[in-house]
Amino acid sequence: MIAATKTSANSAFHKYWVILSTRTQEDMAYRANYVFGAIFRFLPLVTMIFLWWAVYNGRKESGASPLIGGMTYEDMVVYNTLMYVARGFSSVPGTMSDISKDIKDGLLNRYLIKPINYLWYQVMYRLAHKLVFWYIALLTFPPIFLLMRNYFSHWPTLWEWAVFVVSLFIAFSIGMLFCSMVGMLAFWFLEISGFLFVVMMLEFFMSGQLIPLNILPVYLHRFLFYAPFGYEGYWPCMILMGKVPQDQLVPVLLVGFLWVAVFYGLSRWMWNMGLKRYSAVGG
Amino acid sequence: MKTLLKYLHLTGLMMRNCFVRELQFKANFVVRFFTELMWLVMQFIYIQVMYGQTGQIAGWNKWEMIVLMGTNYVIAQLFEALFYDNCVRLTDQIRQGDLDFNLIKPINTQFLVSLRYTDYASIVNSSVGLAVILFALGKLGIGVSLGGALLFGALVLNSVLIYYSILFILSVWTFWIGRSNNLMELYWQFGQFSRYPGDIYPWLLRKLLWTLIPMLVVSNVPAGLLIHKLQNGWIFYGFALGAGFLAFTVWIWQKGLQRYRSASS
Repeated sequence: MIAATKTSANSAFHKYWVILSTRTQEDMAYRANYVFGAIFRFLPLVTMIFLWWAVYNGRKESGASPLIGGMTYEDMVVYNTLMYVARGFSSVPGTMSDISKDIKDGLLNRYLIKPINYLWYQVMYRLAHKLVFWYIALLTFPPIFLLMRNYFSHWPTLWEWAVFVVSLFIAFSIGMLFCSMVGMLAFWFLEISGFLFVVMMLEFFMSGQLIPLNILPVYLHRFLFYAPFGYEGYWPCMILMGKVPQDQLVPVLLVGFLWVAVFYGLSRWMWNMGLKRYSAVGG
Repeated sequence: MKTLLKYLHLTGLMMRNCFVRELQFKANFVVRFFTELMWLVMQFIYIQVMYGQTGQIAGWNKWEMIVLMGTNYVIAQLFEALFYDNCVRLTDQIRQGDLDFNLIKPINTQFLVSLRYTDYASIVNSSVGLAVILFALGKLGIGVSLGGALLFGALVLNSVLIYYSILFILSVWTFWIGRSNNLMELYWQFGQFSRYPGDIYPWLLRKLLWTLIPMLVVSNVPAGLLIHKLQNGWIFYGFALGAGFLAFTVWIWQKGLQRYRSASS
């Protein structure tokens, strides 16, 4: 009995391992695309840096404090740079639209008849994408960070590094689960492509990519600090920058894990409910 | 003159054809309107937060920045309404060798592939941008004369054509490289540079954005006209640059066509 369970666990592991490695190889074939993306991805950083410089400069001229939300101009540059690392884990482009398309066009059938879990299949698929992304990023990120080295004023402690790594795991989990859930809305609403754009915009804003959450108006940031989206950008950056007080590091992680658990439960529930409604249109 | 009338008539026909298509998807129309509106609201919040920290950015106050935001929005929406889809389609047609059906028609092919499809939701959205501009001008207490409004309109059209030229050149590039997956991505990335006053950029980048990648000509010139932040010379420069870019598209289109190999057999 025990042996049988062990074998099935092994084969389950093997199954998803095969998906992961096949997908990685497939993505590697298109690595030129990734290189192209990796270079132009940094253009928005350029405008961000100069815009913030003009803002801090405006403050200096009017004699206001050189800190915005406790951050110097250098911190702001570092924040926006580290955001690329955080998003490198939390963004899973195409997940929402792929899942909703599979449901809408009835393509889900071909996964349902296979002995795999569709959601885990999606996780492996995106994980492969992330692996190739980081394979390329290991070439393009270091020069950027080297260029910015003078802006980094804080060298993280070992403890902060550890918390940061855990937060990246939370970042991927929340990004993946959230996108899957939005995609699964297609079980109930067949046409959601316009809605997806709205969701992506809100995610962009609430994860702190546009503006660090702590400088938003108080009523907004109080709420957003406890929302799941901060884990997709804001928290990993602030943790590594040493801007999260020591005694809050663990609570921040715990809230993050809580959201992962909630999202995991919710997505399983949505999947089960959704399959009952699923009519395999176009089959 | 006769040719001009013929082409105007054709444009009317293509636009009417798209309008009929659009009417079949009314819900899509509403969704598009609200998504774009939210994008505008988000940019507004961004500006609001930035100006919560300082009274001026590179010499521009908040409402001047909002005039720039509105202008940029009108231009981007008009570009997307008239040309964006067509440019995306063009890269696919070149890559898959589907250009043949357009080539055999007895009209100018560049005209046909550039203006074939119109996106009406974007045209409606551009009017929201116009409302934003008027509101911000009201806050600034700046009036606009009829001549000023006409000149602004001409400059907006000029900017739309500059955007078109850049994207068209990128699409035509497909003739040489055979694929173009990420080229359209460039539109979104370069578009970033036009959102802010040129003075926030350092010298070299600013020069580049005023000439080779004229993202500042596109937005700063029309907006600058409205809020009197522009010397007359820049208006002439803007129109000249627009004409130059447009002429270049005609030339590169001809060069590209010579490399066209049609569908693979």
